[in-house]
Amino acid sequence: MRKSIAVLAVLLFVVVTPLCAAAQEGLRVAVAANYIQAFKELAATFEKETGIKVEATYSSSGNLFSQINGGAPYDLFLSADELRPRRLQQSGEAGEPFVYARGRVILWSAKKDFCDAGDWREALKREGIKKIAMANPEIAPYGMAAKTALVKAGLWELLGPKIVNAQDIAQTFQYASTEAVDAGLCALSAGRSEKGKAGCFFEVNEAPDIVQAACILKKTGKREQAERFAGFLMSPEARKIREKYGYR
Amino acid sequence: MTLQVSVGKRLKFFDLEVSFTCEDKDMLVMIGPSGGGKTTIVRMIAGLETPDEGRIVYGDEVWFDASRRINLPPRKRKVGYVFQDYTLFPHLSLYRNAAFAAVDKRDVDGLLTLFGIDHLRDRKPDKVSGGERQRCAICQALARRPRVMLLDEPFSALDVVTRRSLREELRAMKSGLSFPVVYVTHDIQEALFLADEILPIVEGKVDRDWMRRTITREPAPGTAPRAVREPRLSLVY
Amino acid sequence: MEWQAFYVTLKLAATATAVLMVVAAPIACVLAYARFPGKSLVEALLYLPMALPPTVLGFYFIMVLGPRGIAGRPWETLTGQPLLFTFTGIALASVLYSVPFAIQPMKAAFRKIDRRLLESASVLGLSPAAAFVRVVLPNSIGGIIAAAVLVFLHTIGAFGVLIMVGGSIPGVTKVASIAIYEAVEAMDYRAAHLMSLCFLPISYVFLLIANKLGEES
Repeated sequence: MRKSIAVLAVLLFVVVTPLCAAAQEGLRVAVAANYIQAFKELAATFEKETGIKVEATYSSSGNLFSQINGGAPYDLFLSADELRPRRLQQSGEAGEPFVYARGRVILWSAKKDFCDAGDWREALKREGIKKIAMANPEIAPYGMAAKTALVKAGLWELLGPKIVNAQDIAQTFQYASTEAVDAGLCALSAGRSEKGKAGCFFEVNEAPDIVQAACILKKTGKREQAERFAGFLMSPEARKIREKYGYR
Repeated sequence: MTLQVSVGKRLKFFDLEVSFTCEDKDMLVMIGPSGGGKTTIVRMIAGLETPDEGRIVYGDEVWFDASRRINLPPRKRKVGYVFQDYTLFPHLSLYRNAAFAAVDKRDVDGLLTLFGIDHLRDRKPDKVSGGERQRCAICQALARRPRVMLLDEPFSALDVVTRRSLREELRAMKSGLSFPVVYVTHDIQEALFLADEILPIVEGKVDRDWMRRTITREPAPGTAPRAVREPRLSLVY
Repeated sequence: MEWQAFYVTLKLAATATAVLMVVAAPIACVLAYARFPGKSLVEALLYLPMALPPTVLGFYFIMVLGPRGIAGRPWETLTGQPLLFTFTGIALASVLYSVPFAIQPMKAAFRKIDRRLLESASVLGLSPAAAFVRVVLPNSIGGIIAAAVLVFLHTIGAFGVLIMVGGSIPGVTKVASIAIYEAVEAMDYRAAHLMSLCFLPISYVFLLIANKLGEES
């Protein structure tokens, strides 16, 4: 019994190690979680055209920023805001940030009759609205934009006790789509997704665009490939792709 | 009133089957080699074990009847039970132990004095001697004003001197009791000293022959003697 | 530096501990003494929260406590208030999440009690409930306190479950562990550091108590 386990372990090691090595061939990109869907298509397209593999890690911008600060070996960082890439540039860890997408905030609900109201403000003021989810404005760029909109519309105070703070825009959508809350201030990309189509949403014009910036990390060992990818992200082809997912 | 016991139970090494009665004010002593089923019988009277068949009746109260599916739980039988290894509650003082289930708290003082442990009333069980603990256990049982009193080798774990004096105190007390007492021991002298009636139990059955065989140290036909080492007595049962 | 978050943490831990002491004791008692078919299945089910990752638990709690859940829906009908994203909701989640930590030490303490004490209590006329209160509890204080300490420590450290079930509402469901996480996300490392430091004395004191009790028993 012990012998066969040892043999298995060695086999596994032998098989996995070259796989790992192969995996290390491509670009490692840290991507803000809201951009998952769009990024997958962008990465696949880039790979097809150039043969350069792209591997992404998706998480909240704050979490990725902490990792990078702690020395995580990424080549590029696609944040959901401009602030974090700028910080990295200031601390000398990254080059000049560039805007790779602009997102929009929507008010999405899993219940189709939610959108019977005139506009998003009317919908929120209705009776029977018990809980609204939004990404925590202190830590999530989409949350900050949503808060700006609520304040502008005079709803921030009114809705106060009904607001549930999600950790990021992905969790916001999770709360809204599982109907744990009546509606959520989510990303437009969520509204355009498969799940998103099962519900309905209002555009929230009072919310500013979420300017999502990226940067190439100084310690990358694949500068040339990273720059090619950055160039691709800014190309008209990439723009067409991301517009499909609700980004400009 | 009479305690009537007639029970049967399948045990690990043999089948238990006994029948006996005990009147108020009488002390019936069960004696016999260890492992013979005496403790099991007493536990069945208390309700801690269930016979497979039979009846246990006290007066007009049916405590157990297999055919009628009656099996009163121990707390409803109002029995006093003094265990072999004293099981006083370790977190309570002797007084509190004795008064634990007392019908009238005033009885407790009298009992403690009668058994000579009143001066120890505030001590916890681990701070007194084995003999004092057993005295307290007896007080605890008596304070409940039980209908039947059961004592299962109450003094076996004590030294000879204490055993003797407790035995004498018990006999002196006996006449004042108004209920039946069932007493278990393996000590023939103790049995002879205390009993109004002796019931020898061997391998689950009443064996009236056992006494005679044991006292005259005659091996039973086909069995090895497992009797207590007692000096030859001229008394014949 | 959010003092409010610590207040919520301590309030939550105190609530969960108090509730579990009352709820877990009879369950531990049954597990310690009773024998019934399917007992090991029931026991494994009760210990499940210990074996599941907190995010899995959180996920299921959302389903159960949400407005359409088997617990959330009747609650909302009865009280008009939602169960999820409220203090009651996270208290309930914390209780369920810590059930095994309360039951195990109690069960162990109960089992240590000599059976004959219970038989004696029974013969002396006590009902099982009375025997539990007058004989079992006084003789298992060590195990009960150990359970309380464990539950308390476990609750003040809860994060994964609460981050899914709480909604991080300041003063209501935003506990200290979440406040620290958010401070890091917001790049306020100084606040994160300060709050983390505060955890040390609290946890240390309780561990000391737990150790002392462990030695005494």
